Amino acid sequence: MSLVELRSIVKRFGEHEVLRSVDLTVSKGEIIAVIGRSGSGKSTLLRCINGLESIQGGELFVDGIPVHDPSADLRKLRARVGFVFQSYNLFPHLTVERNITLGPTIVKGVSQADAVALARDALRRVGLEEKLHAYPDQLSGGQQQRVAIARSLAMSPMLMLFDEITSALDPELVGEVLRVLENMARDGMTMLLVTHEMNFARRVADRVLFIHQGTIWEQGRAATLFESPTTEELRSFLGAVLI
Amino acid sequence: MIRDLSWIDPLYLLFALRWTVLLTLLALLGGAPVGLLVAALGRMTKRPARLASRGYIGLVQGIPLLAWLFLFFFGFPIFGIDVPAWLAATCAFSVYSGAFLGEIWLGALLSIPRTQWEASASIGMSYIEQLRYVIIPQALRIAMPPSVGFIMQLIKNTSLAAVIGFVEVTREGQMTAAATLAPLTVYLMVGAFYFALCYPLTTYSRHLERRLHVAR
Amino acid sequence: MTYTFHFRDVFAAQDALLDGLLLTLQLTATTIVLGFVIGLGVACLSVYGAPWARRVARSYVELIRNTPLLVQLFIVFFGLPSIGIKLDVIPVATIGLALNLGAYAAEILRAGIESIPRSQVEAGVALGLTRAQIFRHIVLVPALKNVYPSLTSQFILLMLATSVASQIATPELFYAGSIIQSRTYRDFEVYIVIAVVYLALALLLRILLGLAYRLLFLRS
Repeated sequence: MSLVELRSIVKRFGEHEVLRSVDLTVSKGEIIAVIGRSGSGKSTLLRCINGLESIQGGELFVDGIPVHDPSADLRKLRARVGFVFQSYNLFPHLTVERNITLGPTIVKGVSQADAVALARDALRRVGLEEKLHAYPDQLSGGQQQRVAIARSLAMSPMLMLFDEITSALDPELVGEVLRVLENMARDGMTMLLVTHEMNFARRVADRVLFIHQGTIWEQGRAATLFESPTTEELRSFLGAVLI
Repeated sequence: MIRDLSWIDPLYLLFALRWTVLLTLLALLGGAPVGLLVAALGRMTKRPARLASRGYIGLVQGIPLLAWLFLFFFGFPIFGIDVPAWLAATCAFSVYSGAFLGEIWLGALLSIPRTQWEASASIGMSYIEQLRYVIIPQALRIAMPPSVGFIMQLIKNTSLAAVIGFVEVTREGQMTAAATLAPLTVYLMVGAFYFALCYPLTTYSRHLERRLHVAR
Repeated sequence: MTYTFHFRDVFAAQDALLDGLLLTLQLTATTIVLGFVIGLGVACLSVYGAPWARRVARSYVELIRNTPLLVQLFIVFFGLPSIGIKLDVIPVATIGLALNLGAYAAEILRAGIESIPRSQVEAGVALGLTRAQIFRHIVLVPALKNVYPSLTSQFILLMLATSVASQIATPELFYAGSIIQSRTYRDFEVYIVIAVVYLALALLLRILLGLAYRLLFLRS
């Protein structure tokens, strides 16, 4: 059974239709890169998957849970789906440790001691174990983003969603974040990334989706898509970003 | 002589409202020049001027308005001058408004970035011209919402003048309450009158605030 | 007509002054706590409540903010007995002052809550937190930190406003002043002393609240 299943998803903001009939299945362990111009709907697509945005048409299932159903318990879902934001969104008044233990202790009822162990482990995986007691404003952008990833990892998610997580970083800090993502991919995490990092997508992703005007315009294996795009729109998009 | 509350009482209260308004206007008349002075001094480069400005604001804001009223009311006779309640109240409110308005206006002046001064200077404007065409128009727009808000507070504060015997609407209410032994009804009416005066000002101040932020 | 000041008479009545001062302090402390709680509750209603709750909150705030404290105290003083609640003057004054402060605190706290960026709330949602949990762990402390200056100014204003309670015979500092005045006939001197005491209190309170800020919000 696929982990994520989208059937004819429609998403509107007022009059404006951002997603017009999107179909997608994601299998466990798949790494999917989502690319496209700004405004194409790629971030919105991601945000629909964990229910941050509601959909106006179609059906969306994550691990069998009908996200589109108003009576669905989205909190339980979100505890198992990690979401990392472009602007990290760490809680500035809490230490790194508390940022990470907040979810496990409050949402999953994990004991404080176990949560701290989880936090240490997550920080180790992102290479920031020594920053356990630091505050977000003492960290660089790349470090904050890695803590944000650790924060999601500590919840032991079955699926990780990344919304342009390197776009707000200075170029020299992007590498450390991408390295973490590569490790996670190697460990078998199911990942959906909205990204502009084409080289990374080509190297790490199993499948690439090109979103254009609210639908999946073209999709395929990373190698084939980047070498030989079939549609004019993808061709011109790649021409613009791969300079 | 105890009497029943009748329909004419709200009318008396309404008439007393004009004294409320009058006292507010007098307080503004007296307080505005003081406020301008405080704001002007507070922006000067000379330290004593700035200290004087801040000192005045701190002093006035650290003493309850009631105390200021009593100080003027009992102070004048000490120096041999007999003043009616309205004059003592006007002086106290002028001192009070001067500090608060001064603080608002100083804040507005200080919030104009110095780049505005620099830009207008570099097109050859004199100090007066800078003030007149660039600085004060902007400061005015910034200062309007809180100033209108303060006027609303002033209207409420005039109720304290009742304590030194000035007959505005609250004092009228006290007298009516004593005469009719229906204090709750009377004070509810008084409250309603204040609300009718103040609420439009509150709304206007908010409207100005919104326009200010849209423009920015 | 006298140009000589007779402060000695005022200082002789220092017992009365002290009693009044103590009550002022007590009133201030109780009112700040009560007013803050009321304000926080009303602010939450305004931000998170159903439409009817928001309307109630809005009406409460507007009613208090557009009427004078003196009139509010009179209404509470005469109104409570009429609905069968007979209280001593000190609780009555506390209720009136707390209801007043509560409205101003509610406005300030509402602005604080709304100043927290949506992205912070979204991060909490994405972790699976409930709205209450998000409020408690993510919104509350930063909101308080943001509006602390406005809140402390309001508290100091409140402390000075306790003087108005003298008009419903609450024996706080200002009332003590009028007692001493009727005893000694040293009108002007009495109120000079009272004014100075309030000034000192205002300064003290500002320092205290500044210290509280360090304790609560600054990390070592």
